Amino acid sequence: MIRPLSLAALVMLASCAAAQDAPAPAASAAAKPVAMLDVRAQPPVHGDANAGAAKAAVCGACHGPQGVAIAPNFPNLAGQSATYLYLQLKAFKDGQRKDSIMTGQAATLSDQDMRNLAAHFAALPAKPAGKPDAASRGAQLFLAGDPAKGVPPCQGCHGPAGQGPASPWSGAPDTAWHTFPRLAGQSALYVGQELGDYRHGKRVGVSNGRIMEGVAQHLDDEDIQALAAYIQSL
Amino acid sequence: MRKLQLLLLALPGLAAGAASAQVADGSDTMRVGDMQYGNALDPRGWTPMMAGIQDGLLSNGMSWLHAGMKRTPTGVPYPYPPQADDGTPVAPGSDWTYRGLLQLGYIHLNGDRNAEFFRQYSDWKNGLALGYLGLMFDNRRTGEYVEFRASRLSADDQYYRLRAGKYGSYRIEAFYRDMPHTVSTNAFPIWNGIGSSNLTLPASLTPGASTPAQIAAASAAAPRRSIGLTRTRSGLSLEGELYRGWIGTAAISNEERKGTRLWGGPMFFAFNDLQGGINETVRPVDFSTTDVNLSLRKVGRVWHFVGTYTGSFFRNHKDYLDYQSPFQLQNVVGVPQVANIYQGEFSLEPDNDYHNLRLDLSRELKGNGQFSVAAAWGTMRQNAALRPPVTCTGVLGVDMAPIGGPNYTLPCADWNTPAALSQRNANARIDTGLFDARVNFHPSSSFGWHAGLRWYREDNKTRYLAYNPQTGQYGYISENGSQGSIVPGEVGIFDPRNPLYWSSNVTVRNVPYGYDDTLFELGGDWQFGRRNSLGVAYTFDHNEPKYRERKRVDEHRIKISWMSRSFGDATLRASYEYARRRGGPYNYDPYVQFFSESLPGFVDPVNGLPAHTVADMRKYDLSDRNESKARLIVTYPFGDATTVSATFYGSRDQYATPIGRQDTRSTGATLQWDWQPGARTTASAYLGIETSHMGIANVGDSDGGAAGAALGTPGQTNPNLGGPLYPYGNQWWEFDRERNSNAGFTLTHDFGSVRADLSYNYSGSFGHVGYSYATIGALAYRAPDAATAAGNAFPDNKYRSNTLDLGFNFDFTRRFGMRLFGRRETGSFTDWHYLGFDQTLSYGQRIYTDKGPQHHYGVTMLGALFNVKL
Repeated sequence: MIRPLSLAALVMLASCAAAQDAPAPAASAAAKPVAMLDVRAQPPVHGDANAGAAKAAVCGACHGPQGVAIAPNFPNLAGQSATYLYLQLKAFKDGQRKDSIMTGQAATLSDQDMRNLAAHFAALPAKPAGKPDAASRGAQLFLAGDPAKGVPPCQGCHGPAGQGPASPWSGAPDTAWHTFPRLAGQSALYVGQELGDYRHGKRVGVSNGRIMEGVAQHLDDEDIQALAAYIQSL
Repeated sequence: MRKLQLLLLALPGLAAGAASAQVADGSDTMRVGDMQYGNALDPRGWTPMMAGIQDGLLSNGMSWLHAGMKRTPTGVPYPYPPQADDGTPVAPGSDWTYRGLLQLGYIHLNGDRNAEFFRQYSDWKNGLALGYLGLMFDNRRTGEYVEFRASRLSADDQYYRLRAGKYGSYRIEAFYRDMPHTVSTNAFPIWNGIGSSNLTLPASLTPGASTPAQIAAASAAAPRRSIGLTRTRSGLSLEGELYRGWIGTAAISNEERKGTRLWGGPMFFAFNDLQGGINETVRPVDFSTTDVNLSLRKVGRVWHFVGTYTGSFFRNHKDYLDYQSPFQLQNVVGVPQVANIYQGEFSLEPDNDYHNLRLDLSRELKGNGQFSVAAAWGTMRQNAALRPPVTCTGVLGVDMAPIGGPNYTLPCADWNTPAALSQRNANARIDTGLFDARVNFHPSSSFGWHAGLRWYREDNKTRYLAYNPQTGQYGYISENGSQGSIVPGEVGIFDPRNPLYWSSNVTVRNVPYGYDDTLFELGGDWQFGRRNSLGVAYTFDHNEPKYRERKRVDEHRIKISWMSRSFGDATLRASYEYARRRGGPYNYDPYVQFFSESLPGFVDPVNGLPAHTVADMRKYDLSDRNESKARLIVTYPFGDATTVSATFYGSRDQYATPIGRQDTRSTGATLQWDWQPGARTTASAYLGIETSHMGIANVGDSDGGAAGAALGTPGQTNPNLGGPLYPYGNQWWEFDRERNSNAGFTLTHDFGSVRADLSYNYSGSFGHVGYSYATIGALAYRAPDAATAAGNAFPDNKYRSNTLDLGFNFDFTRRFGMRLFGRRETGSFTDWHYLGFDQTLSYGQRIYTDKGPQHHYGVTMLGALFNVKL
C-alpha cells in the first residue's frame, strides 16, 4: 500500500536532499492553503516517451539513467505507472507535496513535460523480480493483511506481486486503478520511510494519501519493517 | 412475568460468554417489536441524527477510492452517507465517546385537526413535544456501544429504545412504545359503557320497547366520540455467543391493545316489512399478545445449524360483549309477541397459544453446490370456557296457537347456561408441520440450477358437536333467539323427537378445515455473455384440502425472467409467468356431515331438502384457473447524478365457471426520477397508477319472485343452474373497477447553516361497483320503482389526499439550532356506505354509530423545535 511514485516523487525529493520529513503545510509562510489534489476521477495519462527521455537526464542523477535508483533512499521509477508518476510531479509543482529538491525540479516543468517524463520512465524495464519469502510476516501482511488489526492486504490495490493493479478503468464512478503505484522492488528504506509518512498524516495532499493514511494507522514499526523488506524482495 | 425474570437471570451468563466471542455476527435475528422506530414526526426515526453532510473532500463521492456515487447492480445510486460525528470523549483519556441530540419544541395545529385520515396513526396535539432524544456512547477500542433513542408527541404516541452491546460479540435491546390507531373521530354511539363489555341504553330509551323516533332523538343527542385503540409494546432481547461459535438469542415482547372498535348488533334483519333491529355497536378491545423467541445457531465447518422456538400467547381481557337493543321485535305472522328479545351477546376472541419449533440445516456440496433442509412443527391451541348459546330469560320464539298454528317457543333457561353445551371448553387445536429441502448448484459461472421440495400440513384437530344435553336437541340458537322470535321455527335447532324441529337442517359441527400442500420446484439460470441472463423456473403445487369441494388441486407454473444490459446504459428486467390450475372432481356440497341432515332421526322435509348451493358455482380458491403475469422494469442512469426508472406490470386471471369469480385483471405503471448532484442536494419524483378489475357471476335462489317459485316446493332440491331453484332469470353479475394513483416530489438542499426540505405527496383512489341482472327475479326488492332505482351501479367511491411539507433546519452555532416546519394536508372522501349519515344515523329499525370520514378536510400544522447537540 505504499505509493512508490509518490515515492518516486519523494524519491526525487529524497534523492537530492535526504528525505525531508518536511514540515507539513503549516510551515510555508502565510501561504494560502493548497487544495487537495483529488485524483479519483483521473483518467490515464499518456505522453511522448521520447520527448520525456530528452528531459530525463537530471532525474537520472538520483533515480538512475534507466530509472533504477542509485541509492536506497530514492525510489525506482522504471516501469512505474505513468499516471502515478505524472500526478506526483504535478503535486510537487502545485504544492500538495513538498520537498526541497523535487518542488524545485517540478516547478519549471510544463504539464506536457510532466506527461512526457512520466511516459518515459513508465516505458523503461522495471527492476528484475527478487525472491520473496512467502512465509514472512511481510508476505502475510502484503497478501492477506491483518483483519484483527484492521490492516487490509496490500495486494488488493497494488497487485499480488506488487506490480500494480491490472484492473482496467471503466470511467466514473470506478476506482482509478492507474493512479496506484507499482511497489515491487522499491528499497526497504524508502518504503519504510513513506509508510511512516502516511502513518503520521504527512501525505494527505493527494486524495489517494487519505486511503494510505487509513491503512498505515494500523501498522506498527515492526509491521512496517516487515512489509518494507518483503516489498523490496518482490 | 416469570419468563422475563428467567431471561434477566440468564443475561449475566450470556454476556460473560460473549465477552470471549471471536465470531463476529451482526445479523439481526432477534427482531422484537418493530423494525424501525419512528413516528409521524419522523417516520425514519433517526433523521435528526443524520443532519449534516460529508465534508467538502467527500463531496465528489462517498469513498476515497472512486469519484461519484456507485450504483446498485440494477443501476440505482446509493445515497450519500450522513456526516460521521466523531463524538466527544466521556472523560479525558477515555476510550468512550458520546454524541447526542435533543429536539424539543412546540407544535400547533389549525383547521380540521380531528379529521380521521389526519389522525389515523398519529396523535398530534397542540403543545410541547419531544421531537427527538438520541444519545450514543461508543468505545472505539473495544467495540462496545450504548444507544438510546426517544420521541414523544403525546402519552399515546411515543417510543423509547435502548440498545447496548459489543460489535461481533453480544447485543441487548429494550424498548417501549405507544402507537395510536384511530378508526373514527366521528362516532355517536347511543349506548352507555363504551369501551366496556356491557352496553346499556340511556334512560331515554327502553330496551326492546323504544320507537324509532325515540331512538333517533337519542342518536341526535349522543356526544361525539373517537373510536380507535392504542398499541403499547415493550420488549427485551439478547443475543450473544454462548460457547465456541454457538450463538444464542432470546427475546420477549408484549403488546397491549386497548380501545374500541365499531361492531355489529343484529336482532334479525330489519328491512322491508320485517321488524327486527340492526344496531351498530362499539366493542371493547383489550388484548395482550406476548411473543417469545429463542434460537441457537452455529456455523460449523461443514454444516450450518439454526434451531428456533417461537411462541405467541394471546389473551383477551374482555372476551364478550353484551348490548341492549332498543328495538321491539314483531313476528312476521302477526300473532302476539311472546318473546321480546332485547339483549344480545357476542363471544369475542378467545385466549390462545401458539408454539413452533424449527430446525434449519445447510451445507456446501462439491461442485459449487449448496444443500439446505428445514423442518418445523407448530401447534395453535385454545381452550377457553365456552359461553352459553343465549343470554335471554323467559321464552324465545313464536307461539302461533292464536291462529291455530304450532307453538315454536323455547324456554331460555334450557339454553342460557353452560350446561346447555356439549363441552364446557373449546379444546381447539391446529397442528402444523413443515419439511423443506433445497439444493442448488453452479457448475460454471454461466449456469446454475436449483431444485426444491416443500411439504406443509395444517391439521385441524378441533371437533365440536352443538348438542344440548339438557334438552337432547342439536344446533346453536342464532342471534340470541331473535331470528326465531320473528320467523316461526327458525330458531336454529334440530330435535329428532319433535316434529317441529326434526326437519331443521342446521349446522351441528364445526368444519375442521385443513390441508396438505406439496410444492416442487426446478429451475435454472443462464448467463449469456456479460450483459444478459435468463432464468427459467417450473413449480408444481399439489394441494389436498380437507372438507372442501375438491380433494385435490394441482397448479403448474412456469416463470421466465430475463435481465439485460444490452440497451445502452439501461438495465432491463422482464419476467413472465403462466400458471394453470386444475383439480379433482368438484363436489358442490361436501358439508353434509356437519349438518343435522346427517344425524339419526332427521326427517326430510315434505318437499325435500333445499339444495346446499348452486352446483355450477366454483369457489375462487378451488376453481380451474389460468393465470398470466408480466413485469418490465427499466432503470436508466443519466450521467452520475440522475436515474430514471419505470415499471410496467399486469396480471390476468381467468376462472372457468359459470357461477363465481370470472376474471381479475390488474395493470399498473410507475415512473421514478432521482437526482443526486451532490451530497448537498437531492430530489426525486414519483408517479404511480394501477387499475384493477374483477368480474363475478352469481344467481339468486328463487323465492317466489318473477323468475320462479321454487323455494318451498319440490323444485328446491334441484341444485342446477337453470333449474327451478336457480333459474337463469335470477342470474346477476358484478363488475368491480378500482383505480389507485399516487405522486410525490421531494427536494432537500443544504445551504450551509440552513438545510431545507420540501415534499409533496398525492394519493387518490377511485372505486366503482357495477352490476347487471338477467331479470328482476335477481333482485331482493322487485317493486317496479325499486327495480328502476336499482340502476346498474352503486355510487362511486373516491378518496384523495394532498400533503405538502416544508422544513428548515438552522444551525445557530455548532451546538444550538432550530427546526421550523409546516405541513398542509387536505383530503376529500366519498363512500356510498355513509351517504346520508351526516343528516341522521337512525333509519327505522336500524341505528348506526359512525358518520364516517369528513367529506373534505384541511389541516395546517406548524412546529418549532429547538435543537441541542449533546
